[in-house]
Amino acid sequence: MPKLIIDNREITVPEGTKVIEAAERLGIMIPRFCYHPALGSVGACRVCAVKCLEGPRKGIQMSCMIDAQDGMKVSTTDAEAVDFRKHVIEWLMLHHPHDCPVCDEGGHCLLQDLTVSGGQGVRRYQGPKRTHTDQHLGPLVAHEMNRCIQCYRCVRYYQEFTGYEDLGVMQIGSRVYYGRFRPGTLESPFSGNLIDICPTGVYTDKPSRYRGRRWDFERRPAVCLHCSLGCHVTVSARYREVVRQEARFSESVNGHFICDRGRYGFPYVNLPERPRSARVDGTETGWEAALKIAGERLESAAWKTGPQGIAVVGSARCGLETQGMLKRLADAKGWRGPVFDIDPAAANVRTAVSRLDSDLRVSLREIETADCIVVVSADPLNESPMLAPALRQARRNGARVAVIDPRPASLPFQFDHFPVAPDDLAAAMAILIRKCADKEPLSELGKTAVRSLRGVSDGADIPDADGLAALYDDLHDSRRPVIVCGTHTAPPEIPGMAADLALLLRIAGPRAGLFYVMPGPNSFGAALLSDPALSFGDLVSSIEEGETKALVVAESDLFGSGIDWDRLQNALNKLELLVTLDYIDSQTTRAARILIPTLTAYETPSLSINNEGRVQQSPAAFRGGDPIARTGGGEHPPRAFRRDIPGREMGAAWTALPTLGGRNPGSAPVNLTAWLGDAHPALTSLPESSDFPPDGVRLPLAENAGERFQTDRFSHGEKEEDALTLLVADSTFGTEELSSLSPILKELTPSPCIQIHPEDAAEFDLSTGDAVRIDTGAGTAVLPVQTTDRIARRVLVIPRHRDLDDRLPRERRTVLSKTAIRKATEDA
Amino acid sequence: MAETTNTAYPQVLFANRKPDRIATIDDYRKNGGYEAIQKVVSTLSHKDVQKIILDSNLLGRGGAAFPAGLKLQTVADDAPFPRYIVCNADEMEPGTFKDRVLLHADPHLLIEGMLIEAYSAKAEKGIIFIRPEYENAARILEREVAIAEKAGFLGKNILGGDFSFTIDVHRSGGRYICGEVTAQLNALMGKRPNPKQPPPYPTEKGLWDLPTVLQNVETLCCMPPIIRNGAEWFRNLALTESGAGTKLYGISGRVNKPGCYELPMGVRLSEIIEKHAGGMPEGSEFKACLPGGASTRYLSRAHYDMPMDFETLKAAGHRLGTAAIMVFDQKTCMVAATLNLMAFFARESCGWCTPCREGTPYIRDLLWRIENGRGEPEFVDILKKQCKYLWNAYCAFAPGAVSPVEGLLADFEDEVWAHIHQKTCPFKASD
Amino acid sequence: MLSQQIQASKHPPELVVDVMMAVQEHYGYLSDEALEEAAAMVGMAPTKLDELATFYTFLYREPVGRYVIHLCDSVICWMDGYEPLRDHLCKKLGIQMGETTPDGLFTLLPVCCIGYCDRSPAMLINKKAYGPLTSEKIDEILETLRSEAAETTPS
Ligand SMILES: Cc1cc2nc3c(=O)[nH]c(=O)nc-3n(C[C@H](O)[C@H](O)[C@H](O)COP(=O)(O)O)c2cc1C
Ligand code: SF4
Ligand code: SF4
Ligand code: SF4
Ligand code: FES
Ligand code: FES
Repeated sequence: MPKLIIDNREITVPEGTKVIEAAERLGIMIPRFCYHPALGSVGACRVCAVKCLEGPRKGIQMSCMIDAQDGMKVSTTDAEAVDFRKHVIEWLMLHHPHDCPVCDEGGHCLLQDLTVSGGQGVRRYQGPKRTHTDQHLGPLVAHEMNRCIQCYRCVRYYQEFTGYEDLGVMQIGSRVYYGRFRPGTLESPFSGNLIDICPTGVYTDKPSRYRGRRWDFERRPAVCLHCSLGCHVTVSARYREVVRQEARFSESVNGHFICDRGRYGFPYVNLPERPRSARVDGTETGWEAALKIAGERLESAAWKTGPQGIAVVGSARCGLETQGMLKRLADAKGWRGPVFDIDPAAANVRTAVSRLDSDLRVSLREIETADCIVVVSADPLNESPMLAPALRQARRNGARVAVIDPRPASLPFQFDHFPVAPDDLAAAMAILIRKCADKEPLSELGKTAVRSLRGVSDGADIPDADGLAALYDDLHDSRRPVIVCGTHTAPPEIPGMAADLALLLRIAGPRAGLFYVMPGPNSFGAALLSDPALSFGDLVSSIEEGETKALVVAESDLFGSGIDWDRLQNALNKLELLVTLDYIDSQTTRAARILIPTLTAYETPSLSINNEGRVQQSPAAFRGGDPIARTGGGEHPPRAFRRDIPGREMGAAWTALPTLGGRNPGSAPVNLTAWLGDAHPALTSLPESSDFPPDGVRLPLAENAGERFQTDRFSHGEKEEDALTLLVADSTFGTEELSSLSPILKELTPSPCIQIHPEDAAEFDLSTGDAVRIDTGAGTAVLPVQTTDRIARRVLVIPRHRDLDDRLPRERRTVLSKTAIRKATEDA
Repeated sequence: MAETTNTAYPQVLFANRKPDRIATIDDYRKNGGYEAIQKVVSTLSHKDVQKIILDSNLLGRGGAAFPAGLKLQTVADDAPFPRYIVCNADEMEPGTFKDRVLLHADPHLLIEGMLIEAYSAKAEKGIIFIRPEYENAARILEREVAIAEKAGFLGKNILGGDFSFTIDVHRSGGRYICGEVTAQLNALMGKRPNPKQPPPYPTEKGLWDLPTVLQNVETLCCMPPIIRNGAEWFRNLALTESGAGTKLYGISGRVNKPGCYELPMGVRLSEIIEKHAGGMPEGSEFKACLPGGASTRYLSRAHYDMPMDFETLKAAGHRLGTAAIMVFDQKTCMVAATLNLMAFFARESCGWCTPCREGTPYIRDLLWRIENGRGEPEFVDILKKQCKYLWNAYCAFAPGAVSPVEGLLADFEDEVWAHIHQKTCPFKASD
Repeated sequence: MLSQQIQASKHPPELVVDVMMAVQEHYGYLSDEALEEAAAMVGMAPTKLDELATFYTFLYREPVGRYVIHLCDSVICWMDGYEPLRDHLCKKLGIQMGETTPDGLFTLLPVCCIGYCDRSPAMLINKKAYGPLTSEKIDEILETLRSEAAETTPS
């Protein structure tokens, strides 16, 4: 541990720490442009110069390029160093357009800050300025190359960090240009990070252009709700709208970056069609009055049918408070539910939650340090985008990454894909488990367990069984293997088998980790708090049978469940009372007898539990209310003055729910953590909101909970030779409920299609570009065909798409007979 | 040090040089060619070879004057395989053309030099990185490499031993920075040729992360004669105590016989100009010269008798560089000449680091203003600061780029002031 | 030939400049389409090739004439008459530096020292060096190239 002196202060840092980092630990921020903690040091900008007074090097040195060493004495304030840095800034400003007043970066620009603080205020260079032509880079990122200071951060981020190659650095010398080979939409689903990482205004946030300056915004930390990872973001709101989001650093979750789904998924908050006033029987009613009416009607419904005639439904996008309150309500009133089981993957999630031991689970950041990763039944880029860059960092550090999944997974790095059909996934996992059981002394498991493990079918008849067996050897030889397991499309055995494998590996030696990917932002909470005995399908049947007469639906669109729409509509029509609480406009809000608008997680503090059981807190980014753009009727500034916030009568769903149970309006329990603990013991010890640590708290999870090594659950089912499996898959854009409402992401959403192996396609006389008519069981769709040999045989994949919601089956996996698909001809 | 009056200096690298003729493999062998590699393969260990090269005091001829033997020794014994030898035939330093002349004169000398280098580094793959302007030389090399291969000097199990070595010719796309070692390796790997600061050093992690020894054409060509005649013989070729070997001096500019001459290391500048390059033309007087390409400092009249070797120049605050001597006479405007050099550097800066990318065009602009009568007194201090701070750039390009400007400001500051005060270039005015 | 080399290479990117040169040779310059073709050959992204194509002097991303004249403007040639020769060439060809004659025959570009300082002033036409130059020699060279072009181009 070298000890050195920086600006007369002594500090000891770990071996390999750069001087710039050591200084930061002392609170000394040495100027930097090209250095970035996620991208490392490259010594290009030269603005981090310091003077080494004593030690192994002397004189002006770049603090990002030299390791802290014993005996170093460094000055950041030395006159020569200061003067040199000033010159660096002069150089960088030679060609700068000085357009801060109209630049979208103005006010939060590193170049601006360093120019001002470096004291470089007078222009001496008299030559002509170089100029560049900008490019169209798509709907997210604006390009203004004249502002570039050639720090190379963007290309290093784009190419090295995330692995995309459609943005690069062209030209030479003072003409270097950062852009695309041809203008066009950036291919990376992480392109928005360019905006954050560029230290000046070259890449700026296009959707928020002309919407305000940094200091105009209310900026608050928040947690992304567009997948289960729960990345950290910073929200900017103005005039009662969310205007933009940026990535926020998180040590354990997302590091420095976020995906574009997360960055641009927010507009659902601002949409004009968002329900903003309560309605009772189609008539606008005050929020509290509507709640009271709802409470009364529910009470009378309970009189008629008994409490079991009422059911409550939530979803994985409800905040933890709302989920907890739904459970509390159901428990207190004897109503049925809560059902969070809108997504059919919920059973998988419950298994995952029960198997995620505290000592097995790893965080997203920890994946970067793994040296062998097996991803099973997951499609990282499409399901939880930020998982892909985390895997890539592991790969860059030399890890082997293998994906066992039927879908044509693509990842921005080299990986091994085992396109195993859904029916064979368990067999594939069995190969890994069997091999472990055969090879390793698993005495601590006890004889029976070992015997039963060794009895696991060897799955040898699946394609590339040898490759999988070899994969086990790599797992075993690694120091830090991680099993990543999806839940969206996984057959029911898989989440358990993934945990078994991780556990066995751990016994066999390496420090194995386990990471589940879940379907919704708060799937974890839903799994903890839902009533396992009641599924949504059962609930619909009970409505049809007249057993359930009233339904309270909180922040859930039942029509997203995949249940046949006509059937669902008929069932809802049968209800005596449908109370819907939501902040988006959906078929469920439209079907509601009583509609209660609610606040989004941007407008009220909210908790959620991410895929690794980490409870995270988002404070309110702003107080809500009707956007000024609407209340002002186009006038600026709006002329109507009032003391309250128009449209802010509503509250969070969880604050509304007690009233539905007949309590006084607004009588939500004060001590949040205490009553959440009542809802589930794991939630007992949550900190007070003011004490919430930045990276949240990981729930204590019972060690080795759940059913382990249930080897008998895997059996070789008979395969129907002629059948095809339809997988309804996620795609990065256009699948997730809230972000698919985002007008910003429309352009990036791929149009619906069906993917199939070319040899299977040939059987139906299909090739890429043909249209196919498919009867999914839930409806008929005509879709363009995309053949790909990276997909498992006898599998059809349809990325879920809003336009298809009414015709896709509820189940993520459906077995279809061969007659279900045929080529769509002209006349069709 | 012996005053040399006789002009018949030993021709070592140019032993087979004939006007307008490329030495064939037979010409080469007639004069002892490929004997060195025979000796190496049959009697010497790779360490022996390293030792001889080290003892010979052979300094790199590409400009940096790093001891060739030391470089070989930085290849660790347990370094991985395959290892690479790269021959730097980029030669884009303005004023430098010695490697071109050498390649055209005696291509097999280079091939044998690479073989010796490869043997001692245990490398099996050689690449000649050549600038596109030397297409002619590239073709010659390809042809002669094939001939050498046929003759059994390249390929598998050379001369019956277990030493194997092949050579490829790689044509550059053309940029000065490609001559810099690490940039060259990036170029060879199909990456943008930006330099990459060590560590790791190329001899540890070079091409495709494998050990790579890179050496200039002339440096490699010195190896066969060293092996044949011994380290001491090589050292004694020089006229100065500190020097070793002969040196190819390329001389151009205001001399009667511009060209490339092989002379003992340490021969005096005056002798090179007067004796070998035919003196200066009628009416021309020596004003200054760049001793070793565009990235060295001017030698002024005061240095006219300077012994031209690495150490002597270094001691005087100068660099011999590539020994490409560019001679300027009293009619040449030093501001204009320096402006031209700066235009070169500004055009060729690779664009990686700020001081060089922005500083070289800045200096060019200032010099242009001074040369065109728009100079202001503050410019001189700005120039001095710029020169000073360009030394803090990422690679050696920038310090090289400012060397002529530093020379201008040190030795010809009056001329600069005359431009500023007269608001015009005095040389143009007097035309 | 090249495609065989690419096949045989353990690291195809090492051939990327050769491939671009060959494709340029074929099409005259590296149009976007030509660049994409080259990219496909070496299995790299077009952007990665453009990063190089725009870096190197001898890869042309814009149309050039059949003969590309690179006139050396570095210090020795400058001292030995670069400026008058440049003016002569411009006048003779009726174009400015950086332009191509309307008949598509000649493009005139400056270049850094081409390593023929012993024969300054010098120039390079399609990678062949000429020097020492005078206006008369330039006229001769242009004439020869014109007739060579006339002979090899079916009219
Ligand atoms: C900007 C720059 C350009 C260079 N160009 C060349 C060159 O064209 N040829 C060359 O041999 N060395 C060149 N060098 C020097 C090389 O970096 C390196 O020192 C040399 O090739 C090593 O070989 P040597 O030790 O045999 O001289 C250049 C260095 C710099 C910084
Ligand atoms: S565009 Fe931005 S990030 Fe990229 S090099 Fe320029 S200033 Fe740096
Ligand atoms: S990966 Fe998931 S949590 Fe992270 S930013 Fe993207 S959508 Fe949001
Ligand atoms: S000094 Fe900097 S810009 Fe100049 S060539 Fe070296 S790395 Fe490139
Ligand atoms: S931050 Fe150190 S050189 Fe750019
Ligand atoms: S200066 Fe023109 S060829 Fe060297």
